[in-house]
Amino acid sequence: MHALLADSTLTGGLLTLAQSDFPHALSTLTLNHYLFVSAAMFALGIIGFLTRRNLIIMFLCTELMFQAAGLALIAFGRYHLNFDGQSFVIFVLTIAAAEAAMALALVVLLFRRRESLDADLWAELKG
Amino acid sequence: MGVSMTTIMDAILSAAVAQHGGEAAHAAVAASHGVTGPLWIGLIPLLPLLGVVLVTLLACFNEKSKMPAWISVGLLAVSFLLTLFAYLGWNGHDAIHLKLWDWIGLSWGDLRGQTLAAGFAFYFDGLSLLWMLFVTGLACLIGLYASEYMEHDAGLGYCRFFAAFNLFVFSMSCLVMGDNLLMLFLGWEGVGLCSYLLIGYFYKKKSAVDAGMKAFVVNRIGDLGLLMGMLLTFTTFGTLQYDALFNQIHTGLTAGGTPLSQTWQVWAIPLLLMGGAFGKSAQLFFYVWLPDAMEGPTPVSALIHAATMVTAGVYLVARMMPLYLADPAHIALTAVTWGGAITAFWSATIAVAQFDIKRIMGYSTISQLGYMFAGLGVLATTGGVFHVFTHAFFKATLFLSCGAVMHGFAGQLDMRKLSGLWSINGFRVVVIAMLIGCLNLSGFPFTGGYFSKDMIIAEAFVTPDSVIAGSSWAGWLLLLTAGMTAYYTFRVFFRVFVGPVVYEPGEDLHAHDDHEHADAHGHGHGHDDAHDHAAEHFHPHGPKWAINLVLTLLSVGCILSAGLYFLGDHHGWAGGMVHASSAVVDTHAVEGGEEALLFGQPPHEIMFYISAVFGFGGILLAAWFHGPKGIAGLLIGGRTTAAEVRMDPIAKALRPISTWAVRKWYVDEFYHLVLVTPLKIFAHLFHWFDKLIVDGLVNFFGATPRVSSDAIGESTQTGVLHDYALRMVAGIAVVLVVVVLVLF
Amino acid sequence: MTDKLALVWPEIWLFVTTCVVMVVGLSPDLRVRKLCGWISALGLVVAIGAAVPVAHAGGLFPSITPYAKGMIGVVGLMLLPLLAGTVDRDLDAAIESGKATFSALRSNRAEFYAFFLFSLTGLMLTASADDLIWLFLALELTSLPTYIMVTISTRGTRSQEAGVKYFFLGALGAAIFLYGFALIYGATGTTDLAEIAAAFRAQSEAGGLNTIGVAGLAVALIGLCFKIAAVPMHMYAADVYQGAASGVSAMLAFVPKTAGFLAIIMLCGAVGWTHGATHDSLPAPIYILLWVIAAATMFTGNLLAIRQSSVKRILAYSSVAHSGYMLVGVIAGPGSGHGTFWDNGIAAVLFYLLTYGVTNVGTFAVLASIQKPNGEEADDIADIRGLHGTRPHLAGAMLLCVLSLLGMPPLLGFFGKVGLFTSAISAGEIPLVIVLGLNSAIAAFYYLRIARAAYLEPADEHVETRAGPIPQRVFAAVLSASAVVLLLTVAQMLMERSVTASGYHAPHAGMADTPHEALDLTRADD
Repeated sequence: MHALLADSTLTGGLLTLAQSDFPHALSTLTLNHYLFVSAAMFALGIIGFLTRRNLIIMFLCTELMFQAAGLALIAFGRYHLNFDGQSFVIFVLTIAAAEAAMALALVVLLFRRRESLDADLWAELKG
Repeated sequence: MGVSMTTIMDAILSAAVAQHGGEAAHAAVAASHGVTGPLWIGLIPLLPLLGVVLVTLLACFNEKSKMPAWISVGLLAVSFLLTLFAYLGWNGHDAIHLKLWDWIGLSWGDLRGQTLAAGFAFYFDGLSLLWMLFVTGLACLIGLYASEYMEHDAGLGYCRFFAAFNLFVFSMSCLVMGDNLLMLFLGWEGVGLCSYLLIGYFYKKKSAVDAGMKAFVVNRIGDLGLLMGMLLTFTTFGTLQYDALFNQIHTGLTAGGTPLSQTWQVWAIPLLLMGGAFGKSAQLFFYVWLPDAMEGPTPVSALIHAATMVTAGVYLVARMMPLYLADPAHIALTAVTWGGAITAFWSATIAVAQFDIKRIMGYSTISQLGYMFAGLGVLATTGGVFHVFTHAFFKATLFLSCGAVMHGFAGQLDMRKLSGLWSINGFRVVVIAMLIGCLNLSGFPFTGGYFSKDMIIAEAFVTPDSVIAGSSWAGWLLLLTAGMTAYYTFRVFFRVFVGPVVYEPGEDLHAHDDHEHADAHGHGHGHDDAHDHAAEHFHPHGPKWAINLVLTLLSVGCILSAGLYFLGDHHGWAGGMVHASSAVVDTHAVEGGEEALLFGQPPHEIMFYISAVFGFGGILLAAWFHGPKGIAGLLIGGRTTAAEVRMDPIAKALRPISTWAVRKWYVDEFYHLVLVTPLKIFAHLFHWFDKLIVDGLVNFFGATPRVSSDAIGESTQTGVLHDYALRMVAGIAVVLVVVVLVLF
Repeated sequence: MTDKLALVWPEIWLFVTTCVVMVVGLSPDLRVRKLCGWISALGLVVAIGAAVPVAHAGGLFPSITPYAKGMIGVVGLMLLPLLAGTVDRDLDAAIESGKATFSALRSNRAEFYAFFLFSLTGLMLTASADDLIWLFLALELTSLPTYIMVTISTRGTRSQEAGVKYFFLGALGAAIFLYGFALIYGATGTTDLAEIAAAFRAQSEAGGLNTIGVAGLAVALIGLCFKIAAVPMHMYAADVYQGAASGVSAMLAFVPKTAGFLAIIMLCGAVGWTHGATHDSLPAPIYILLWVIAAATMFTGNLLAIRQSSVKRILAYSSVAHSGYMLVGVIAGPGSGHGTFWDNGIAAVLFYLLTYGVTNVGTFAVLASIQKPNGEEADDIADIRGLHGTRPHLAGAMLLCVLSLLGMPPLLGFFGKVGLFTSAISAGEIPLVIVLGLNSAIAAFYYLRIARAAYLEPADEHVETRAGPIPQRVFAAVLSASAVVLLLTVAQMLMERSVTASGYHAPHAGMADTPHEALDLTRADD
C-alpha cells in the first residue's frame, strides 16, 4: 500500500489518497484538487472578511482562512509522505483555538460598549 | 644654572617621559636630524590651554575677583620659564623635535605626496625659540598689566577677556612651535579667531564689532593665499613637515623629480604664502584692518596687534625662507621687499597726520612691520627678525603707556586735548616708559630699534639690485620713512607727555573700555558720576602698581634688547638664533661678488651715521613743530597750549593734501566704493535670485510631498476596518501583479 | 532534545517569570502587586544572562541568539518603566481611598505584565526558530498578547477601537503568512528551515525554483509585512498606535516589528541571496516583491507622517517608514559573508533594530510623561509645544531621540542608517539608495517639526499639560535619550556583534535527506 503510493507519486505524480475500493472519481483525487479546495476556502475567507460587517462572522472568516492553510498542509503532508504537515496542522488548530478565545472575549467587550457587532462603527481614529 | 634646572625638570617629569618613550623614540626616527626634546616642552602651549579651561570654569561659577588674571599670569609665567629652560638647555644649533601625538594621517597611495601626515608636534630651532621667548614673556607681562587695566570689568567680561587671551597664547604657540604647516595653520586660524574675539570685546559698541568683522574678513582673504600656498606646497613637495620640506627643497627637485627652477610653483607658492603673511601682518592692500583693531582693549592692541600676532606673517616668511630662495629670479622676495617698503612709507604718511595717539601707534606698527618684511626681502633675515624682537618690546611699551593714559583720562586719546603728563601726579613712570619706547621707535642711537632698523636698511643697500630689483631704492625709501617715524613718534611725545598741563576727560568718562558696564560697576575711580558734572570733577588717576611694574620691566627690556646686538658672533644674538634656523641666508652664496658701497663706504658701517642723522632730524622737526617752550621742547619748541602748534598753519597751507592724510588717504572709502559696494549689489541680486528661484524650487519640492500626503492620507486612512482590509488585499494584489509584470 | 532546550533557556526563564508574575499580580496586597514590574525586570535580566553564553546554535543563523535575545531583553527592560502604571491606576486609587475592595477579576496588572513577558518570550523564540512550525508559533505568541494589551491599555473607546482593528487585521495577516508557510512546506517537503534551504538550493541547481515555493515565499513575506507594518499591510499602524497607551505603542513599534524582521530574514535566508545573474541576490520574484514593498513603504510612511498633527501618528507612520529602510538591508543581503559591518545588510538591519528600539522608547516615553487635564497622555503636537520651557529634560530627551531617529550624526541612529546605506551601495542597489536618501530628507520634515514644537514654539495658552503621575516614565525617557548617546561608546562592539549574529550558513545541496525533484503540479493535473 505504502509502496504503491510512493510508486505512483514518483512515476505519475498522481496522488492517490483513497482506498482502492473507493469509487473511481474519489480514488483519483490529486494534490491539485486539494490545493484548489484549499485556495477556494482561503479566497472565500478573504471575501467573507471583506464583505461581512459582523465581527463574529469576520472572525469566522479568518478561521476559514486558517483552515484553508491547514488543508493545504495536510494535503502536502500526504504528498510528501511525512508528518510535518500534520503536526503543523495540530499547532494551527491550537493557535486558532487561542485566537477564538481571544476574539470572543474581545467581541463581548466591544458589544458591551457599542451594543452592536458592526465593525464599521469603530471608525473614530483615522487620517 | 639653567641647565641644572632643566635636569630637575627632566627628573620631575621622567615618569611621564618614560611612558611616552615609545613616541619620543618614534619622533627621533622621524626627524632626519636634530634632537628629541623633553616632554615638558609640550607644556608651553598646553598651560595656556589649561588656563582657558580654568578661566572658563571660573566664568561658569560667576567669579567676580581677579582670580582669572592671576591664573593666567601664573600659567603664562610658567610657560615663559619653560621656554627659557628650553632655550638654556638648547645646544645652539640642532632643532629640538617633540611629537605629542599623531594628529592627521591621511593616505591614499604609496607614492610620494599621497600621504598627508601631521603630528601634534613641535619644532624648536632658533627662530621658534626667539619668537616663543618674547611671545610668552610679553604675554605674561601684558596679562599682569591687563589684570589692572580690565579691573572695571571684573566678572564675566574679565573671564571672557582672559579666556581669549590664554587661547591666543596657545594658538600663537602652536603657530610658532608647530613642526609642520598644518600646525602653523591651526595656530594661524586660532590667533585670527582670538583677535576677532578681543577686538570685538566691547560687543555693545558698534565700531568695535565692525572692526572685529573687518579684521576677520580681511584676514580671510589673506588666509586663502596661505591655504592655497600650503596645498600647492603639498602637491609640489609631497610634505608639509618642515624638515622633510626643507630637505626636499634642498635637492632642488619637486617630489615628482622635476627641477624646481623650471616649475611655476617655485614662484607661485612663495607669492601665495606672502599673501597670507601680508594679510595677517597688515601689509600693502591688507593693512586697513589693523588701525581699526585698536577698538579692542589696549592690552590686546599691545600683545596681539603690535608685538606678537601681527608678526606671524614675518615668521611665516622667515620660516619658509628656503622656499623663497629656491626661486632663482627672486620674484617673491622682490615682492616682499617692495610690499614692505611701500607699506612702511605709506602708513608713516598717515601716521604723521593722525591725532589719536593709539591709532598713530597702530599705523606705526604697520610701518615697522613693513620694515621687517623689507628686511626679509633684501635677505637681511637677521635684521628683520631682530627688529621683530626689539619692536615687540618697544611697541608693547608704547601701547601700554598709551593705555595707561587712556585708563587715567577716561578714554581720552586725542593729542589736542592732552598735554603735560609729566607734571601730573602719578604719571612719571608712564612718561619715562613712553620716552624709552619713543627713542627706540625713532631709532635713537644705541637703542635696540636703532640697531635692528639699521641692519635692515644697510642690507637693502648691500643687496645688489640685480638680486632684488630696486633694493637700494627700497633702502632710500626706508631711510626716509625712518625720519618720518622719528617725527611722528616725538610729535606724540612732545604734545602729550611734556609741556603745559592741559587735559580733558574722554567721552565715556569711565574707562574707554567698558561701555557695557557704565552703571553696573561702582568702584574707586571716582568718576562714575553723570557725564555733565563729571567733567568738572574729573581727576586723572595714575596707574597703580601692576601697570607701573609692567611698564618698568618693559622699559628695562627695551634697553637691554639693545645689548643683544653685541652678543654672539653672528651679527648679535638674533643673528645667532637665525643662524640656527631655517631662516638663515647664506648671503655670499646668493649674491656673490663684492659688497655694494654707499657713499663710498660699506653700508653697514656708514648706516649708523646716516640713520642717526635721519632720526635726529625727525626728532628736531617734531620738537620745532610740536615741542613746548623750554627744555622739554629741546629749547626750540614754542607750544603753549594743547591744541595749537606750529604745524597747524603749514597743514592748512598744504590743504587738501593734509586733510587727505588725516582721512587716511581715503583708502577705506576707496575700498568701500570699489569692493564693498559692488559686492553688496551682487549680494542683493543673489538674494533675490535665491528668494525667487531657489526658494521657489525648494518650496515646490516641499509642497509636493505635502500635497501627495494629503491625497494618500484622505483617500486611504479612512478609519474603517473594512476599508483597511480591502486596501490591504488590493495592495497585495497590486504588488503581486507588479512582480508578475516585471518578470514576464 | 536537551541540547535544543539549552538554546531556549532565556525563554524558559521568562516563562517561569511570567507564571510568577501572574500569581503575584493577583495578591490582595498592593505592595505585593507592585512587585510585578520588578519581578519582570529580574526575569529579563536573567534571560539576558542566559542568552549571552549561547554562542552557537543550529538553524540558518546559528549565532544570532546572544545578540538578538540580548537586544530584546535590553529594549524590554527599557519598556518596563514606560509600561508602569498603564493599567489598574484607577482601581488602585479607589482601593487606597477605601471606595472599592480588591477584586481579582477587576485587576488587570497580572495579565498586563504577563502578556508583556509572553510577547517577549515569543519574540525570543522567533530569534531561535529553526522550523516553520516553531516560527509560526513564536510569531503568534508574540502577537496574541499584544492584541489584548492594546485593548486594555486605556479605559477609553479609542484603545478598544485600536484593539479591534489590530486584532482582526492581524488575524488576516497571520492567515496569509500561514498559507505561505503551507506552500513553502509543499514545495520543499519539510518544515525545517535548514532543510528547506537545502531543498531550495537543490531546486535552483536543478534548473529553477519551484513556482509553488516562490509563491509561498511571496505570500509569507506579504503576510509578515503586517508584523513590520509595511505597505500594503500598514493600514492599521497609525490608528492602533494612536489608540493604544503610549507605552504599548512603543512596544508595538519594537516587538512585532523585530519578530517580523527576524522571520523575514530567516525566510530570505532559506531561499538564499545566491540567485540572479551574479549569484548574489534574492530570486527575481522575491527581489522585485521586496523592492516594491520597500520603496512603497518608505514613501507611504514618510508622506503620511507629514500631514499628521498627532505625535503618535507621526511616530506610527515613521515606524512604517523605518520598516521600509530596513527592508533595504534585507534586499542587500549579507554581502560577501566575510566582509565588515558596512557591506552586510543583515547586520545593518539587526543593528538598526536595536537603535530603533532603544530610541523609540524615548519618544513615546516623553509623550507618556505628559498628561492632559482630562488625564489622557499627550498626543497632539500642541501638547508638546514649549516643552523646553516647562520640562527641559523631557524636551531634551525628545530632541535627542527624534534626531537619532532622523539619523543625525553623531547619534546612534546615524550609524544604523549608514550601515543600511553602505550595505545597499555595496550590493549595487543604487536606485534603492536614492529612494532611501530622498526619504530620509522627507523624514527630516516631521521629525524636526516635533523638535521645533518642543524647543522653538511657545506653549499654546489653551492647552494645559502637566507632569504625568508616573515618574518611571520620565526615567524611561531619560534612559532612552542617554542610551542614544552612551551606546555610541560601545557602538563598535555592537556592530561587530551584529555582524557575528548575521553569520549565515549558506545551505548546500544534499543537506536534506529527501531531495525531492521539483514539485510539479501541472503534471498532477492529468
